[in-house]
Amino acid sequence: MTVARLPGAGAASHGLADRLAGPVLLACTVAAAGTLVALAGVLGVEAGRFFAQVSPVRFFTEADWTPFAEEPRFGVLPLLAATAQITAGAGVFGVPAGLMTAVYLEHYAGARTERALTAVTALLAGVPTVVYGCFALDFVTPALRSLWPGTEAFNALSACLVVGLMIVPTVVLLSRAALKSVPAQLMEAGLALGASRGRVVARVLVPAALGGIVAAVFLALARAVGETMIVTLAAGNQAQPTWSPLEGLRTLTAFIAQSGPGGAPSGSLQYGAVFAASAVLLAFSWGLHAAGMFLVSRRRRGGAR
Amino acid sequence: MTAPARRRDPLGMACGAAAFAVAAAFAVLVAFLAVEARPVANPGFLLEMPSRMADGAGVGPALAGTLWLALLTAGLAVPVGVGTAVYLEEYAPRTRLAALVGSALASLAGTPPVVYGVAGLALFVRGLGMGPSLLAGGCTLAALALPTVVVASRAAIRSVPQGVRLAAYGLGATRWQVVRGEVLPAAAPGMLAGVCLAFTRTVGAAAPLLVLGAVSFMTFAPRGPADPLTSLPTQIFAWTKRSEQDFAALAAGAGVALLLVLLAMNLAVLAVRRRMEDASR
Repeated sequence: MTVARLPGAGAASHGLADRLAGPVLLACTVAAAGTLVALAGVLGVEAGRFFAQVSPVRFFTEADWTPFAEEPRFGVLPLLAATAQITAGAGVFGVPAGLMTAVYLEHYAGARTERALTAVTALLAGVPTVVYGCFALDFVTPALRSLWPGTEAFNALSACLVVGLMIVPTVVLLSRAALKSVPAQLMEAGLALGASRGRVVARVLVPAALGGIVAAVFLALARAVGETMIVTLAAGNQAQPTWSPLEGLRTLTAFIAQSGPGGAPSGSLQYGAVFAASAVLLAFSWGLHAAGMFLVSRRRRGGAR
Repeated sequence: MTAPARRRDPLGMACGAAAFAVAAAFAVLVAFLAVEARPVANPGFLLEMPSRMADGAGVGPALAGTLWLALLTAGLAVPVGVGTAVYLEEYAPRTRLAALVGSALASLAGTPPVVYGVAGLALFVRGLGMGPSLLAGGCTLAALALPTVVVASRAAIRSVPQGVRLAAYGLGATRWQVVRGEVLPAAAPGMLAGVCLAFTRTVGAAAPLLVLGAVSFMTFAPRGPADPLTSLPTQIFAWTKRSEQDFAALAAGAGVALLLVLLAMNLAVLAVRRRMEDASR
């Protein structure tokens, strides 16, 4: 692709800058890769130390997570279930809203509305998650409690709604790109055949972009899995697993953020548990992210045909 | 497509309703912050120290901490990230190792920010003995921003037309002269856009700093990288967690301050980009 392989390109090195540039840039790459490898390394080492003391089988099969109890138990299932619940709940709100917004912007909105709403999604993408968390706890939760008086102060529904709002810009941005890549002739052909605009969109254009849309959903859900501040503030830190959206729960991220590992001595089980939970979180979100990236790359290859 | 036909389309109406619901949610969020922050809307709020009393408390140290963190993160992540991107695009031999490094960096963009905090706690705070300082926070945030900076910079470099390079080489330029004189100026506006996006996320990140051990009660403004770690996002978190109404106002006020910092940063970058694009035209 680049000139790098052209014969003789850059062969003549004149000044000092020319001789230094290559090594300095290589050093940058080594530093970048080295830092990230080191970060992954310490994570692996600490998690490994934890699993040397706590059986991985029990870690993944027991449903009791009480790291600070007299006799601590480390069964990660409740945290994992809570993370899955919040992610699914956020998906229920965020994915349809984002997808429909993308369809509206791409196929219905006038130029002005389109520009204004695109700006709104860009601004939503720039709001820090802790500000969303503040909004969830101080606005959405009181609103829910006035609707359903039985709602707990920390509840999953508030977190799901606001995490759903947070992932909307990701869904809109990526699924719009997928919709854009569908040839305009398909719309014209469909309309010429006498189908209504809505029918063409629903039966032709969205199915044609489906690969990219599914990828967008996966990438957005990967963000929801790793979301920390909203769930910590709104859903709380409740150890008991629950199916009620009006009760609180504790996700992997909420445990990591609230366990205060900075205060735990290195090598203690409580310190190690944070690294083990991080490793599980990493596997969860990377799985979704990798699935999304795979679908994006497959779509790109398919589009080149 | 004529307007009446659009209006009668049920799918279009449903999608339009969803789009405006999203816009309405954004409006509610902004209104909530504005109304909630009203009690603290005075210039002193930006300078005062946090306090056990909500009355008269301010975000002085947190604001200074966030500015320090932005500076440290930019100073670390931009040179290293852009250097890595230039190396991978323009210098690296096309080996499997280079491809592996590139795709590994790209896939790291899907890592939850809080995990960087956990790894940074072990590596920077404890392993390298930085303690819960602004420096440890800056290093962690730089690592968080790095993959995005590299991916965005590589995309910007790749979008520079090949003819530009070929013409420069044809005139006898060396590789560095091509990079320095042609590729970087042409790619700079695109790079800035990507870097700015990475920074908006990074400067607003609370979770990694919380894990590192950020403090939310400081009686002096940090003056250097060795001072204790404090920041606007973690301050917002601490104030939101307190259930008293007065602290909710402080949290919203700090949220507005953080949004203003981010907005100022984005507008400054936009202005620089405009000038660059005008200059290259």
